[in-house]
Amino acid sequence: MPVAGVDIGSLTAKAVVMDGNEMIARSLIPTGHNSREAGRRALELALEEAGLKESEVDAVVATGYGRLAVDFEAERVTEITCHARGAHFMHPDTRTVIDLGGQDSKAIAIDERGKVLDFVMNDKCSAGTGRFLEVMAHALEIELDDMGELSLGSKSPASISSVCTVFAESEVVSRVAEGASKVDIVAGIHQAIASRVYAMAARIPIETKILMTGGVARNIGVVRALEAKFSREICVPEMPQHTGALGASVIAREKAAAAV
Amino acid sequence: MGAGLEKLAALREDPYAPARSWKERTGGKVIGYFCSLAPEEMIHAAGALPVRISGENRVISKSGAHLQSYCCSLARTGLDMALEGELSFLDGTVFVHTCDTMQRLSDIWRLNAGFVFHGDVVLPVRFEGDLARDYEVKELSYFKERLEEYLGDIPDDALAESIKTYNRNRSLLSEIYGLRLENPGVLSSVDALTLAHSSALMEKSEHNTFLEEVLEELKSTGPADGSKVRLFGVGSLMDQWDFLGMLEAVGATMVDDDFCNGRRYFDALTPEDLAPVEAVAARLWERESCPCKHLTKRDRAARLLDRIRRSDARGAFFFLFKFCEPHGFDYPYLKAAFDKAGIPSLLLEIEQGSVSIEQLRTRVEALVETIKI
Repeated sequence: MPVAGVDIGSLTAKAVVMDGNEMIARSLIPTGHNSREAGRRALELALEEAGLKESEVDAVVATGYGRLAVDFEAERVTEITCHARGAHFMHPDTRTVIDLGGQDSKAIAIDERGKVLDFVMNDKCSAGTGRFLEVMAHALEIELDDMGELSLGSKSPASISSVCTVFAESEVVSRVAEGASKVDIVAGIHQAIASRVYAMAARIPIETKILMTGGVARNIGVVRALEAKFSREICVPEMPQHTGALGASVIAREKAAAAV
Repeated sequence: MGAGLEKLAALREDPYAPARSWKERTGGKVIGYFCSLAPEEMIHAAGALPVRISGENRVISKSGAHLQSYCCSLARTGLDMALEGELSFLDGTVFVHTCDTMQRLSDIWRLNAGFVFHGDVVLPVRFEGDLARDYEVKELSYFKERLEEYLGDIPDDALAESIKTYNRNRSLLSEIYGLRLENPGVLSSVDALTLAHSSALMEKSEHNTFLEEVLEELKSTGPADGSKVRLFGVGSLMDQWDFLGMLEAVGATMVDDDFCNGRRYFDALTPEDLAPVEAVAARLWERESCPCKHLTKRDRAARLLDRIRRSDARGAFFFLFKFCEPHGFDYPYLKAAFDKAGIPSLLLEIEQGSVSIEQLRTRVEALVETIKI
């Protein structure tokens, strides 16, 4: 009995289709201005890949900030619970999840069953999120996807002290004017993100294994900076951006099973 | 919702309507105050109307010139209202020295807001020991003299009478809160807190009449929906009614709280068998305290956990004003104690005027999911 999970985030919408214990299809598209439409489209694309019709799916769970907007039949669960379940499904020994998404960042402490024990989220500020990196990439005229690899070559990361996206952007411009290399500036940006995330995550217990999810997990520079800050290894799953949608489909599977 | 409750609920939109109409009707003096430790009974006994000023959701304009951006929104929006002339129904204001912001706001207010009467009540930092108690009684006596200079004599029997009226109000609110503990569905979190909050906005005996009516109605209501997740609220002042509405909408309810416009406002009675000033001092001393008054012999965490247990709350939320130092300082210690006791909790920091309910919804829903699953 196939089920689906749809995660409509601020920048991207993701869907995952599961059959039994297997993920059989997934999709990822930009959310754009219409989160309802994006959620529907992401679900359709994943179903298409799975070769299924919507009516053949037993249960759908919607999550992410657009979860309340969806127009298809779905139960709504918060992204906090879904990330916890998705992380647990992929790596059952995970006890801490750090999710850095498009506009929010969160740290979640989970137990051995994937249940949320505690969590913290960023407030209204987008520093340390995907959006922050996008702004910085634009200021430096480099590709977002190149930032991670680029920063690994830095021997002396530039100091970026501001945690505000707007002020950090002007700080970056100042560093460029001072002659700092892009490599060092990008490394400095990653360190600033790591410091900020660390300060937030320090409010919950950090257990042995940290799993990092969300789009920013694709940036190896941020992952390394976080590892240095936390003094422990950070595990990045194969598809970090789909963790929420995967968790949603795991919950959908349970709901479908309970309904039988 | 009965007619009484409906009238009180309207104060969520227009909190100072009763004060304005009381002044028009009686020609009496209205005295504003910020902190719930203000000796209201004395103001009442002098024939004036004490009214709590608690700021509001607004983008400030004039107060920005006087207060830094890292002052809490209570101070910033409250001063803004005064400078914009929106509190012109006040004849004076009383400040209790609690946190640094309130202490400094008092002087800024005195110099800029332009009200006739200005009173400061500097209570002991710790309500502990004979020396502090002697000082507290002397300070309150001095404050009473200052009030009398402005409002006329406050005879002991008038103060004793006001104490009775206030105690009646406290008992009624306590009874209503008690009914909700048994049967929370009988009254929403929003309405329950409105009952306590509105008490500080109108003449006490008038409020007592409202409460009596509401209590009768509640007593005749049978068991109501008891399926909501029971939560306990912690913080200074809670005036975000939309937030409490959202809490109910996501399947939770605040069964009890530690807000100073909620449970802490009506906690403990003023003794009726002591000399009146000493009696007022005794209640402020005994009343459940906020972190502005740290008490070495009272473990705030243990007391809160005890109330959480007695209210059968499954989780708690801290609803704190950004830049509120006393509550911010206390948070890590309380959080650690709650964690140890297995009470899941959530920290929400807000500023009046820029509350994003949708962002808060995700956090509250996640807490509810954590408790339910």
